[in-house]
Parts: sequence; C-alpha cells; structure tokens
Amino acid sequence: MGRRRFIKTISSTFLGMAASNILKVSSSSGKGEKTATPEYRTLGRTGLKVAVVSMGVMNCSDPAVLLRAFDLGINFYDTADCYMHGYNEEMVGKAFEGRRPKVFIQTKVHVHDEGKMRASVERSLRRLRTDYIDVLVWHNLRTPEEVSDPNLFEFMSKMKKEGKVRFTGFSAHSRMASLLGAAAKSNFHDVALVSYNFTHSKGLKEAVALAAKSGMGIVAMKTQAGGYKKEKMGGLGPHQAALKYVLMDQNVSCAVQGVTTIEQIEECAAVMGISFSKGDLDALKQYQSFLHGRICTMCGDCAGECPYGVPHGDLLKLVMHHDGYENDSLLRESLQMITRQDIQHCSECPSCSIICRRGLDVRVQIKMAQEFIVRS
Amino acid sequence: MAHRKLIILSILAAMFVWFEASLWAVPLESLMPKKDLPDGWALIDGPQTYTEKTLFNHIDGQAELYLKYGFQKSIFAIYQNRKNPKNQIELDIYDMGNVLQAFGIFSRFRNEDRPGGFGLDSYLNDRSALFYKGKYFVLLYASESSPSALEQWAKRIASGIVDTSPSPKEISYFPKDGLEPGSIQYFPEGLLGHQFLKRGFEGTYTEKGEDKAEAKDRECKLFLAIFENSQEAMTALRIYKEDLSKKGRPSSGSIIESKTRALKGEDPYQGKVVVVQKGFYLLGVVGYENEEDAENRLAEFVRDIK
Repeated sequence: MGRRRFIKTISSTFLGMAASNILKVSSSSGKGEKTATPEYRTLGRTGLKVAVVSMGVMNCSDPAVLLRAFDLGINFYDTADCYMHGYNEEMVGKAFEGRRPKVFIQTKVHVHDEGKMRASVERSLRRLRTDYIDVLVWHNLRTPEEVSDPNLFEFMSKMKKEGKVRFTGFSAHSRMASLLGAAAKSNFHDVALVSYNFTHSKGLKEAVALAAKSGMGIVAMKTQAGGYKKEKMGGLGPHQAALKYVLMDQNVSCAVQGVTTIEQIEECAAVMGISFSKGDLDALKQYQSFLHGRICTMCGDCAGECPYGVPHGDLLKLVMHHDGYENDSLLRESLQMITRQDIQHCSECPSCSIICRRGLDVRVQIKMAQEFIVRS
Repeated sequence: MAHRKLIILSILAAMFVWFEASLWAVPLESLMPKKDLPDGWALIDGPQTYTEKTLFNHIDGQAELYLKYGFQKSIFAIYQNRKNPKNQIELDIYDMGNVLQAFGIFSRFRNEDRPGGFGLDSYLNDRSALFYKGKYFVLLYASESSPSALEQWAKRIASGIVDTSPSPKEISYFPKDGLEPGSIQYFPEGLLGHQFLKRGFEGTYTEKGEDKAEAKDRECKLFLAIFENSQEAMTALRIYKEDLSKKGRPSSGSIIESKTRALKGEDPYQGKVVVVQKGFYLLGVVGYENEEDAENRLAEFVRDIK
C-alpha cells in the first residue's frame, strides 16, 4: 500500500476529517524547553559524581522514560537482576547502548552459593549490554552479621578484581541504623542503598552521617514514606517536598525515585537545585499528620519496654509494611520474627505498657498485627 | 409472546453466565499440584497463599507491579526432585482478576519469544517457564537446568485451569507482517512512558530496509491506547500534541483548529510518530524510519480495529 492509499484509508476511516492534511505536512522544529538544573554529589569513596535525583527503574514501562531522565542530567540508575524476570535490566541496557560511559548503573545480586552469584552477575552483564557494572549491591541484607560477613566481601572483591564490577555495597529496608553502623565499622562496602525519609528517626540520620563519614556513598530509597497516592491523602501532593527533605541531608549522595512515566521523572528532577521552602515544610507537616498513627518509623525509642520481652517492634513493623508502605518485601521478614508465644503474650496481657513518643497507639497497632497474623 | 421469549432468553443467558462463572471460580489452591505429582517429585514447601496485602511478603520489590496489573491472590509452593534434591522447582500461580491483566503481567515478564506450547501463550527456557491462561499467570523457576521437567509441570498446571477466556482481542488487531514474535505488551498505565496515554498495548516491528543487514536493527512500534470514551481519546491527542510542541517537533497547524483527529511529528524519545484517533482509541506508529512502510502498517492497524 502506498502513501496515497494510506491517506485515503485514514481519511475514509474518519469520515470527513482532514487527517490527510496532517499527514501531508512536513514536521517543524520544536520549541526550546526549560529544564531543571542538574545537581551532582560524590557517591562516597567511589568518587562517582551522581545526580542527586536519580532513578529507580524497577517498574518503569518504557525506555523513553530513561532517555528523558538522561536528558534531564540524571546519570545513576538502579535496577536488579530479578526485576521483571530480567527484562528490566535488558531495558536499561538497550536504552543506554551508546551512552554507557555517561551513565552509572547499579544492579543487585542475591546471597547464594558462589556459582549462582557468579551466574547472576554474568546474566546482569549480558542483559545490561556492558562489560562492567558500576555498583553491585547485595539485595536486601537484614542483619549486621550479614553486612559484616567476610565471605560476602570476598565474593565482591573477586568481582572487582575480575573487572566485572567497579564498586560494591548492600541494600536494606529495615534496621538501617544498625546495618549502617556495622557497615561503617567493617569497611567492606562502598555504597549503601537504604530506606530514608522524613519520618525516620534521628538515630537513622546519625547512622547515615556515620556511614558517610566512613566513606560510604549513601543512596536513599523510599523517600516518599510509603508513597501514598494524592487521592488517598485528599489531594495533598507532598512528593517533591519529601524528596527535597532527604536531599537536604548532605550525607545523602542521591535518592533513587521509582518512576514509570516521563511526567513523574520530570516532577522529581525539578527538585534539583531548589531549596527546601516553608511551603515544603507545611506540605510535610500535613503529610506527617496524615501518617500520624498510621506507621511506625522504627525509631527504636520504645525498645525493651515490654515486660514480657515481646519484640513489639516487629509487630509494629508488620503493620507498617501491611498498611502503610504497600510497596515492600519486608512482610515476610516481619512474620518470620514473630512467634506464636509472642502473639499469645500480647493476647493475654491486660494492659500494654509501651508508649510511643510519636503518638502511635501501640495497642491498636498490636491488635491490627494480631488480626493480620491470624488471617494469614 | 415476543416478550415471553425475551424473558426466557434472558434467563438462559443469565444461567449460562452463572454457569461459566461458577465453572471458573475454582479455588486457587486447587490449581496447585499436591498429589499425583510428576514422577520423582515431592512437595517440600507450601502451598502458601498471598493476598494483595501480603504479596510483599513473597516478592522482593516487584509486588507493586503485580498490583498495577490487578493482582487478586497468589499461591506458592516448592517441589523437589527425589533423585537430585538440589533440583527444585518453585511454582507461583497468580490470579490476576481477568485475562487482560494476566496477559499484561505475562507480557512484562517475557523478554523474548520462546514459546513452550502451554496456556494461551508461554515462555520456556532452561530454568524458567511462564504462561497465562484465563485470569491466571503462572511462573515456574527451576534451581537446575531442567526444561523438560518445567514443560511437564507447566502443561500439568495449564490443563487444570478451566477458565476458557480467549486472549485479549486487541492482540489480534496488530498487523502480522513484520511483527516481532512475542513483542506485544499491555500496560495498565503510562503507555510509551506517557501518563496521558494511560493504558494500552504496544507491539514491536522490524522495519523493511534497503538491505537485510540494515533492516536487522531497525525497529518501530505500533501502539493502541484505550480510553473510556472518544472525548478522552481526543483530549489525550491534544495533550500529545502539546507535549510534542514543548519537547519535539509536531506537524504545523493545530489539530483543534483544523478539526482533524490525527497528529504527526517527532517525539524526542520515541522518534517519528503518527497518531490517529478512532472512537475511544488512539492508534499510532512511533520510531520509524521508513515512512511509507510505517504508514502502511498504521493504515492496516486502523482498518482492523473493530
């Protein structure tokens, strides 16, 4: 079918619409576009200069979003071997083919035996269409012991020595403060990818500072404290404020934003070079009051308060992962930490002596956790 | 008399719908093999059920993607080969609510065309098998290379699914010529990375070049964005035009002024683009080099949309 026939087909399809006029005209130049000024920080001892607003590719639907991010000056991209059965890494590789030296790619590996870990790294390299990974992180470490495990360090050292990986680190979704503390001591890691947002405690802020001081590059994730949707918050949209808040901490090298569209990455990138305003503070205060009583920030201030030794922090965490984040893999960990005896203790206890300094009704939260455990 | 016939027909139709629904409403747990397993295999862990609230319990970081695709419930178990205990198969069966969403999530996980011959469409390699059938999306991972075992397991599970929903009809709208096998994907939001395009399908095509070597790496995409009504589709077309005005190179003239419902230009991230509106759809071709070829494809696409 030739062009004329095509035009005829289109035109007849739309019954009198002048589509053919559109299809005949030649393209004209687009207008210049105003973009945010990119802002870069050094990623700890790696020396990499990364855009403070970076991108979590996890659920991204189209390479166009990556290319838009690239044009906005974003140069650090976080993916993982397991996202979309490897397709996520493939998309990153394809999008940045020809641009590889200009971007930094962070991907992940799960703790397994060496053969499987090696195979995972090789698969990542193939999918990413590269011969090196800028930052390879352990996926979701959970204990200080894991963070300090010399066997894990040995594997990463081999990967570095073989030139497959430039820098290494770990990711953590919980107990971030203690993991960062252990990592700062062990000196095994170049980078830490941790949950960090305005709801977190002073303890985590200090741990971030300690880790940064030891030379680790801090990459923040989950900056939105659960990512509640605007509609769910009655139209309140504090996402830029929440991001700015994290970036105010100079110990944070960058934040990886989990976006899926060009519009979302533009909204995030617009934060670069803009200081935290009173309006942002107001938005965060509103957000905080929305979250008040909804989630435990895992500050740890109530640790050891249960006379029966029930690890109530785990119960609170369970509720947060269940009701608040709706975006995490940590429920399993929370469930594993809770025994039947713990639940029984709570059920039989006439009054709970735990007091949350942040106003969380611990009894209500524990009841929710109990109900959830019974259901599941 | 006609009235009575209509009532009877309505009752029969309702009975048929009820019968179909009840036929498919088998408990998810019943799809998970527990007894009569393939020879040499034993259930060693599970079955464990996950809901919308507990999926995070199971999936490391990807739960959000499943929720976007309408995840309802899933079940998970691990089987072990008795002769080689290191050889284990992890099985996930996801109830995605309907066949469109099941196809959608399947399309996001299948990264090349390696059909296994089970379900409505499938993928099989040395260590994994995935397929969708009806409202179910099924994933199998093997710890050791065992494609034949995976195939056997997948076929067994597929045969237990009685949901006979056909594949989403939109798949059939995509012209076959030049379509890269297994490339059609469904996105519940953010089609082509644009919020305003909302949900829809895209398929990748190999472009015809001057010679074969040149054609190999040249690809373009056809897409089909689906809206609630034609007004919404027109609004999205207008936003697309505005977006191209800001970032790309739209065709001259306003689509509103000229009362046309089509758009041509150059998207900075997708390449050359032609978009047309048909009812509550926007159809388009993006990223093409060969204009005639692309327009022919789009014309065929437009013609085939019912």
